[in-house]
Amino acid sequence: MSQALNFIVKRLIQYIPMIFVVIVINFMLINLAPGDPTYILAGEIGDEEFIKATRSRLGLDRPIHERLLIYISNVLRGDLGYSYLRSEQVSKLILDRIPATIFLVLSAMALSAAVGILIGTVAAARRGTLDVTLSILSLIGISIPYFWLGQIILIVFAVYLGLFPLGGMVTVGAGYKGFDYVLDVLRHMVLPVLTLATFNIAYTTKITRASVLESLTQDYIVTARAKGLSERRVVFVHALRNALIPVVTYTGFNTGVLLVGAILTETVFAWPGMGSLLYDSIKLRDYPVVLGIFIYGSIIIIIANLIVDILYGLIDPRIRVR
Amino acid sequence: MSTNTNQKKKVKRSRILLNSRVYAGLIIVSAVVVIAVFAPLLTWFPPLKTLVGKPFTPPNEGHPFGTDDLGRDIYSNVIYGIRTSLTIGLSSVLIAIVIGTLIGVLAGYYRGFLEDFLMRITDMTLILPQFLLALVIVAIFGQSFTNIIIAIGIVSWPGLARLIRAEFLSIKERQFVEAARAIGLPDSRIIFGEILPNAIPAVIPYIILQVNSAILIEAGLGFLGVGDPNVPSLGLMLNTAQQYLLTSWWMAVYPGIMLSMIVVGLNLLGDGLVEYLNPRLRKR
Repeated sequence: MSQALNFIVKRLIQYIPMIFVVIVINFMLINLAPGDPTYILAGEIGDEEFIKATRSRLGLDRPIHERLLIYISNVLRGDLGYSYLRSEQVSKLILDRIPATIFLVLSAMALSAAVGILIGTVAAARRGTLDVTLSILSLIGISIPYFWLGQIILIVFAVYLGLFPLGGMVTVGAGYKGFDYVLDVLRHMVLPVLTLATFNIAYTTKITRASVLESLTQDYIVTARAKGLSERRVVFVHALRNALIPVVTYTGFNTGVLLVGAILTETVFAWPGMGSLLYDSIKLRDYPVVLGIFIYGSIIIIIANLIVDILYGLIDPRIRVR
Repeated sequence: MSTNTNQKKKVKRSRILLNSRVYAGLIIVSAVVVIAVFAPLLTWFPPLKTLVGKPFTPPNEGHPFGTDDLGRDIYSNVIYGIRTSLTIGLSSVLIAIVIGTLIGVLAGYYRGFLEDFLMRITDMTLILPQFLLALVIVAIFGQSFTNIIIAIGIVSWPGLARLIRAEFLSIKERQFVEAARAIGLPDSRIIFGEILPNAIPAVIPYIILQVNSAILIEAGLGFLGVGDPNVPSLGLMLNTAQQYLLTSWWMAVYPGIMLSMIVVGLNLLGDGLVEYLNPRLRKR
């Protein structure tokens, strides 16, 4: 037990400095940028009063090392400044949007794990012509950029076939309650989740296939077959179970890619998460929000990696020793 | 004996299969490069010129890919957009190569505290969302062609640094390096004359995949509206197309097909080479 605790503490020590690195990178960018950093911290606006207030709040007239400390303590307290254009705290704006993004990411993760593992295992069990078809499909799945795939899916399934809503997370003004509400959200999430999951389905399939193929050559598979188990049981229970570790690792450590993918996908489907907020903020040149999304996005990814790292160590004792 | 020849046959067959992936990739990538180089000969409208046709014209004889909201010819923009993608992909990866090689060489050759320090930084940078970092850099420093290249270069080096360090660690122990050291060659000669040339084959497929990811980052930035409006860009075209998806499908379809083609080609070539050069994968 104490070994496990020791391991967790070690990982925490490894990951926590990264949050500081992100904050320092942000600070450097703000101060290296051409022109007065006030405009980046306040947004490109003409209100002299607000600029003055921002300047004194951030101590922009003080030496740079003091400013860094002020900036770090501000960020750690969750104070990322104020979006003048939206008259709202930057942190509140972003925090309001995070759940929708995480919801999208987790749904895509679950879908791609389920589908990818199933197809990958079947492909490993019966090789041959299916193999070629599959490798071509997975090549395409890996190569198409999220945002374009989203646009094409939207044009086909929402615009021309009219099967799904054009965007958003709920039907505006419908006021659904209870079960109808859930159904409405489900209908809205089909296309974005599909878009986001495609790349991961392709990749998970590839990894699962290779991993199952490898475990099918092991001795315990021969034993399982000798016991007279059905082929299905041998593949899906005995081989797959041992082949899952690399798949789970990939799924976990891939959170960062999925988060960025979600940001792009949200833009296509007007999904009300961090991505749509980022898109609007870029258009409005609302720099405090853009910087805030970078900070929050990085922290989410750091935490996700930390969690996966710890879980992984707890599941597989061999890793803990390192 | 018979199992041995059988195995040899198997190896040979899988080698041919891998080769076919590399060839397919080469063909697509060469086609893309030719299009990029000869863009002026392949088009008949200047790419960014507005109102060369009526806005929102669907594909027809004069405008094979149609026109956009400002009456620009989409075909010309796509062709020049390929040029932009390749230019940005190659130049930003060049920056990444310089930074990555420097850090990888220092860490792999000198070891000790320097290695720990550099590798810690590299690992940290590797976890950060590269795309978001590039986006913030371009948004703050200004949306110009040069800034986009620099930003993508700055975020693309960590993987390369790790790879080069690993290569250095293994090559350093080989006999010809020992020999070079024994005859008293200076460090710089050993690093650049002896070790680096031998590390290149392992790095090339990775560089190809890195060009790929740089092109995708540029397109993604453009799609979010973070691009240089004075340069034709596939990503920016998809950004404009987003507003007219309901009516003008052609504005999204053609730039995306070309972008996906480039990515497919580079993926085939890069992945094919990785497997071709890795004997462990080849045997499977």
